[in-house]
Amino acid sequence: MIVIDVTGRVPIFEQICRGICGDIAKGILKPHDRIPAARVLAKDLGINPNTVAKAYAALERDGIIYSLAGKGCFVAEHGNRADRRFTDEFEQKTREALHAGVSRETLAEILERVWTEMSEKKEGDSND
Amino acid sequence: MIEVNKVSVTYTGLRGVRIVRNKALDDVSFTVPEGSVYGLLGTNGAGKSTLMRAMGGIFRPDTGSVIIDGRDVWNNAEVKTDICYVGDELSWYERFTVGELKTYGQNCRPSFSGEAFDRMVKALELPKERKISRLSKGMRRQVVTIFGVACCTKYLLLDESFDGLDPAMRRIIREILTDEVCDNGSSIVLSSHNVTEISEACDHILLLHGGKIVESGEIDDICDRYRKIQLVGSEGNVSREMLEKAGIAVLNFMGEGCVAQAVVRGTDEEVRAGVSKLHVNPVETVPLTLEEVFIYAMREKGYGKINAEK
Repeated sequence: MIVIDVTGRVPIFEQICRGICGDIAKGILKPHDRIPAARVLAKDLGINPNTVAKAYAALERDGIIYSLAGKGCFVAEHGNRADRRFTDEFEQKTREALHAGVSRETLAEILERVWTEMSEKKEGDSND
Repeated sequence: MIEVNKVSVTYTGLRGVRIVRNKALDDVSFTVPEGSVYGLLGTNGAGKSTLMRAMGGIFRPDTGSVIIDGRDVWNNAEVKTDICYVGDELSWYERFTVGELKTYGQNCRPSFSGEAFDRMVKALELPKERKISRLSKGMRRQVVTIFGVACCTKYLLLDESFDGLDPAMRRIIREILTDEVCDNGSSIVLSSHNVTEISEACDHILLLHGGKIVESGEIDDICDRYRKIQLVGSEGNVSREMLEKAGIAVLNFMGEGCVAQAVVRGTDEEVRAGVSKLHVNPVETVPLTLEEVFIYAMREKGYGKINAEK
């Protein structure tokens, strides 16, 4: 889901990029899924279509989406590639947590737990 | 493309027996790229409406020129078929009913689309038979704005078009403008003093104050020209003077002792480079929001300071 906060500090085009990356990260958007056309998204969000086009151009440059002339934009195969959009926030939060006195072990435990949960879920899904 | 070249406009008036000259625009130059939505943002009396009128070929600038697709807009009927200017003064339209305004458009504007006008009138549930002077303030705005859109010109100049509209209606009008940009590839120039409105609707902006340009360009670039930083002094106190001595333009400074927060001019790299000369750790630097740019850049020009502060 893309949520735009126009009064926020993050540029609107970056908020769109993060929203789409977030949907990919959560598994809502899968490789080769079509993402909404720039004008549709612009109307839905009530923002300027050029801003959406700018966001799409940035995502395409970073290899997160690809476009087919006349057909629209699609989610690219990511193949476990780490994009900074997915890791930046993680790094910053890790830094903050360590500053606040959370131990390295606790953070490692969280990572391990989330990873296990997700791989169990994946197995469960494929058994259905 | 609209090129505004060194435009100056001076209003001359009489105060008692003295002739008073008031510079409304002072050497304003900028370019509106094709297909962009350009926002004119300014303080009250900054010259937004004067600039709009000069761009629409309604005012002749004292010096400078407005060139639209290579042709001077002043006194040029041919260029004017490519532009539609909707002013903030609506009394001219009040003589018509909504339906008559459509007839007027069909007769006087070559590219006018009666079909688009009807569609929008229906969508906004505007009364066709009613005289525009009998409509509410917000409804009058809606009528003239959709009239401007229905003219289907390459350039649409809208002065304070969101004025007096409720949030739902602002949204609808913006969606109509989005269609306009996508379908016709039109360029739109909007003026407003509402920062949120501008940051949602526009990709480029011009920040005006006292007839002069304060900033112009893409919104994100403009916001990136300023930084809010949090500083911690590693050897004692942090002061405004320290930063200024290091060559940093400080717009605002808050804090006492060794922790401070400052608003400065410059990109992230520039600011970090400046601070690195001092015994100070920049803890965090973030770009400004458009609203903050407006407030601090204007305050630097002496606007919005409360006298008691001095």
